[in-house]
Amino acid sequence: MVKSKIIAEGAESHIYSGNLFGFNLVIKYRHEKKYLAKELDQLLRSQRTKTEARLLATARLHGINVPAVLLVRRHALYIERINGKTLNEKPNTSTVALSEILKHAGRYLAQLHSIDIAHGDYTPANIMVDMQNKVWVIDFGLSLQTASLEEKALDILLMKRSISRKAFRAFIDSYSRHCAKNSAILGRLAEIEKRGRYQVRTLLAQQPPNS
Amino acid sequence: MAIESSAHTLGVGIVKNGKVLANSSAMYKILDKGIIPAKVAEYHSKNVGLVIKRALKEAGISPNGIEAIGYTKGPGLGPCLRIAQVAARTIALLQSIPIFPVNHAVAHIEIAKRLSKIKNPLALYVSGGNSQIIGLVEEPFRHYHIYGETFDVGVGNMLDSFARAARLKPAWGSSVAKLAERGHYIPMPYTVKGMDFTFTGLQTNAIKMLEEFDHRDVAFSLQETAFAMLAEATERALLLTKSTGLILCGGVAQSAKLRKMLSTMASLHKAEFYVAPNEYNADNGAMIALVTELMLKNQQSTPPKRCTIDQKYRVDKVEITW
Repeated sequence: MVKSKIIAEGAESHIYSGNLFGFNLVIKYRHEKKYLAKELDQLLRSQRTKTEARLLATARLHGINVPAVLLVRRHALYIERINGKTLNEKPNTSTVALSEILKHAGRYLAQLHSIDIAHGDYTPANIMVDMQNKVWVIDFGLSLQTASLEEKALDILLMKRSISRKAFRAFIDSYSRHCAKNSAILGRLAEIEKRGRYQVRTLLAQQPPNS
Repeated sequence: MAIESSAHTLGVGIVKNGKVLANSSAMYKILDKGIIPAKVAEYHSKNVGLVIKRALKEAGISPNGIEAIGYTKGPGLGPCLRIAQVAARTIALLQSIPIFPVNHAVAHIEIAKRLSKIKNPLALYVSGGNSQIIGLVEEPFRHYHIYGETFDVGVGNMLDSFARAARLKPAWGSSVAKLAERGHYIPMPYTVKGMDFTFTGLQTNAIKMLEEFDHRDVAFSLQETAFAMLAEATERALLLTKSTGLILCGGVAQSAKLRKMLSTMASLHKAEFYVAPNEYNADNGAMIALVTELMLKNQQSTPPKRCTIDQKYRVDKVEITW
């Protein structure tokens, strides 16, 4: 029997904490979105739940630290609960520890990409550190099974945009070491960044206004 | 006073103390091929004098009553932007008044914000060439930060391209909406990455589907899918920023369907929702004038020599001084 308590309301889903046969877990329930067409809503919810479960399981099989999937329902996932904090919840981490965490994050992303999984939302909010300082990748809600260089490059871009340059260097070095196809992916990343829309955004932090 | 000519609308607005005194415009009639920048620019150059006169008459002031002149620096189509820039510089020099280059997106947001009276709302700015989720942040300087945006084309242009392929009549946005009225849903590619989204895949797919399916169904599904992507990305941004208000602005904000979706979404999160009247969602001079006044009160004017245009003048480049 599952007892549950709501802990977070995301745009995508409601997260409940629960307990199944003494196992601590979180339940990720994709709630109905009233503003969508019914068919589209149903489709998105069930597809995303299925994909997320499948990709979490695949990633875990390949030795990437992701929470275990315990049960899959039509619109809900029952997942192992990680006791820890996400990277953006603990901004006080020392730079050494931070670059250490990001090295792990880089390696995990490389591993994901080598089995053709693009995470889709690879930001500090989805990197978790538990009590034993073990690094976890969470939230595969937007992940895709794909060989597309573009999707993989976008994963890196998203991280690049969310962390400092120094932290990103640690991340990308580790990524490149562990990813066989890194030159193609990084080539695509450079290409994406050359597209007009990105230029200013990535430069923003370095440039004074009205220059 | 300010002049706007970033796309097919030439607008002149006059504002005093945040109140719109005049909002005149002349719109280039789009034929089946869409905007041809050079032709639109020619149209604007022929009409700019006339529209300025009309605005002055509407506001009931003489040219000497103008305190400052503004124009749209960008983003927009180069040849079109050029007209307002040249006209504004001429007026600035003739009347010896300060001149201000204005960002088009800032103006859209600013006018909706004033009218809504919502404090610090999140904005979804959707037009032909732009689709961005924007909010004001203080770091590293006070500016409108882009939380999410389209990776390729704007939602308006996407709907236009589709409408042309389906041989609909301009104005295309409303023709698609009309065609979609009695449609049914067919699955289409749905691409949201965090708070960003892409439309070209959807566009190609929808155009291909025209051969096979009922046009009403394709139009319905296209609208439904595209707006759902916008609404979902905006919902994420709304939760991230914990904003208590959401404004919808830009040309595509005239869509009743999109309004309804966003207001439903906003009410789910107890956020106030606002859309400006249509005359301020379409490109207009009044919004540029409003920002010009804000700039006049809060910062130095730009020397006429440095009053350039920038086709890709991004909203996050502008320092907000008010």
